[in-house]
Amino acid sequence: MVKKGPKQVPESVRKLQARIEQAKQAKAKASQDLEAQKSALAAEAQAKAEKYLAEYIHKETTSNQNRAQAKKNDQFWVEEEPKVILVVRIKGINKIAPKPRKVLKLFRLLQLHNAVLVRNNKATRNMLRLIEPFVTFGYPSVQTISKLVYKRGFIKVNNQRIPLNDNVQISAVLGSKGIHCVEDLIHQLVTCGTCFKECNNLLWTFKLSSPIHGFNHKRTSFIQGGDWGDREKKINTLVNRMI
Amino acid sequence: MAARPVITVFDAKTKGEVKETVPLPAVLTAPIRLDIVRFVHDNLAKNKRQPYAVSEWTGHQHSAESWGTGRAVARIPRISGSGTGRAAQGAFGNMCRSGRMFAPTKIWRRWHRKVNLKQKRHAVAAAVAASAVPALVMARGHQIDSVPEIPLVLDGIEKVERTKDLLKVLASYGAGDDLARAAKSVTLRAGRGKSRNRRFTVRRGPLLVYDDDKASVLKAFRNIPGVDAVSVHKLSILKLAPGGTLGRFIVWSAAAFKALDHIFGTYTQTGTEKGGYQLLRPVMAHADVTAIVKSEAVQNVLRPIKETPEAHDRKANPYKNKKAMDRLNPFHKLKKRIEMIKAKRSV
Repeated sequence: MVKKGPKQVPESVRKLQARIEQAKQAKAKASQDLEAQKSALAAEAQAKAEKYLAEYIHKETTSNQNRAQAKKNDQFWVEEEPKVILVVRIKGINKIAPKPRKVLKLFRLLQLHNAVLVRNNKATRNMLRLIEPFVTFGYPSVQTISKLVYKRGFIKVNNQRIPLNDNVQISAVLGSKGIHCVEDLIHQLVTCGTCFKECNNLLWTFKLSSPIHGFNHKRTSFIQGGDWGDREKKINTLVNRMI
Repeated sequence: MAARPVITVFDAKTKGEVKETVPLPAVLTAPIRLDIVRFVHDNLAKNKRQPYAVSEWTGHQHSAESWGTGRAVARIPRISGSGTGRAAQGAFGNMCRSGRMFAPTKIWRRWHRKVNLKQKRHAVAAAVAASAVPALVMARGHQIDSVPEIPLVLDGIEKVERTKDLLKVLASYGAGDDLARAAKSVTLRAGRGKSRNRRFTVRRGPLLVYDDDKASVLKAFRNIPGVDAVSVHKLSILKLAPGGTLGRFIVWSAAAFKALDHIFGTYTQTGTEKGGYQLLRPVMAHADVTAIVKSEAVQNVLRPIKETPEAHDRKANPYKNKKAMDRLNPFHKLKKRIEMIKAKRSV
């Protein structure tokens, strides 16, 4: 046994202390690595955000140009059909028939004023037709999706609803697919990219407030002057009152 | 444990003189099963009971009969006859004065208990093993601080003839303290046992275990308070673990101690005297769980302690909280600056 001054420390105690020290150092190193990762991500995120902003602006300007040109030439410019739909539940949980109830559950619209992003294809449109009287939906703009993710963005971690407070949270789950920051995520949602499913699924259902200045008439369809069903681009004004 | 540990046999006549050393009998390493000892002791202690009961006819030696209904009295059987206050009083019921008790006690109550032979033997083995653990013996209350070795084996103790010689022998081997404890503890019994031939209570002192039934020590120990003697061939759990508590202080005679392997057998051979008896094998080879957990071999492969995860931060609204926005979108600051500059320029 090594003598430490007048007091003798048993070997087992020394070894235990060494082990504890090692664990402490490993932990410190892990947190240092995380910090380094975060700063690297920040630089990347900035560059990406700039790139995406340019992309959105470009898209808008080109579509404006196309429309203007068509008008000038007495032609029609057919916009590409929107790829993403924002669905908001406007009926409570009582007195829903089984089939619509199931469809609402499949869309993760389990609560009043829940909102989700949904792909626009034949399958989903047919499903939406089944639940038309209980939801309102339309085509969200980039700003609307941004606002939803920034202000009401929660992610699913270990089947728990964790607030989205840092890009590291996204990178941890979707890093392998090349999505490292919020702007990446939003880009995927807006353009319905290759990882739309993963990004959308990572996000918990948006829980919105009831709209300021209220609904018009929840009992009838939007076309009839009410609220339910397809309201195309007008979903943005509604959701902005609910965010 | 490379070789079996060894017990010293002292010479009873000369204080401290070592006669020989004897390898540890296997029964002293038997697992100390308090559960078995308790069970066996509880049941065997019932076997010395004498039946008690009330008389068969107590409370019924009347010709009492119920008056039935219609006479404005309770329906309890009433004493027949007249001319005395006793007449018409309620009788027979447990609630009645001078009635019989509820469920009169019977002598055919099951007083005695049968215990399986194997269980009895396991209990005795456990108790003998416990007597070899100084901590248990001290915990039981025996004063053994001055005893040179536990188990205490004395050669020649069986030949002691006089009580005062036996006292000298025991005192010279440190048993004097325990004897003093027993002697000091003689007090009148509390309760009615006083007048039922159980006048005094005494603590249990050392137990002498002998081999020869005709040994002269059997007369010598009788007048020493607290001391019992029992033949090694007839070890009883009631003497080895009085009150169900393991760890009686035992003073072995050399012959008795040497006979233990023959009686109980070892882990390689079944007992001869206890025909075919196999000592219980311990469940754990190394019973010190704390030592195992603290050992190098275990500690080196443990994962680091899981710390309670930090509670996640509250959701910070990036449109209100600049830091939050900066964390999520570092470009936002720059974008705002550009817009501000543009706005300034357009003005």
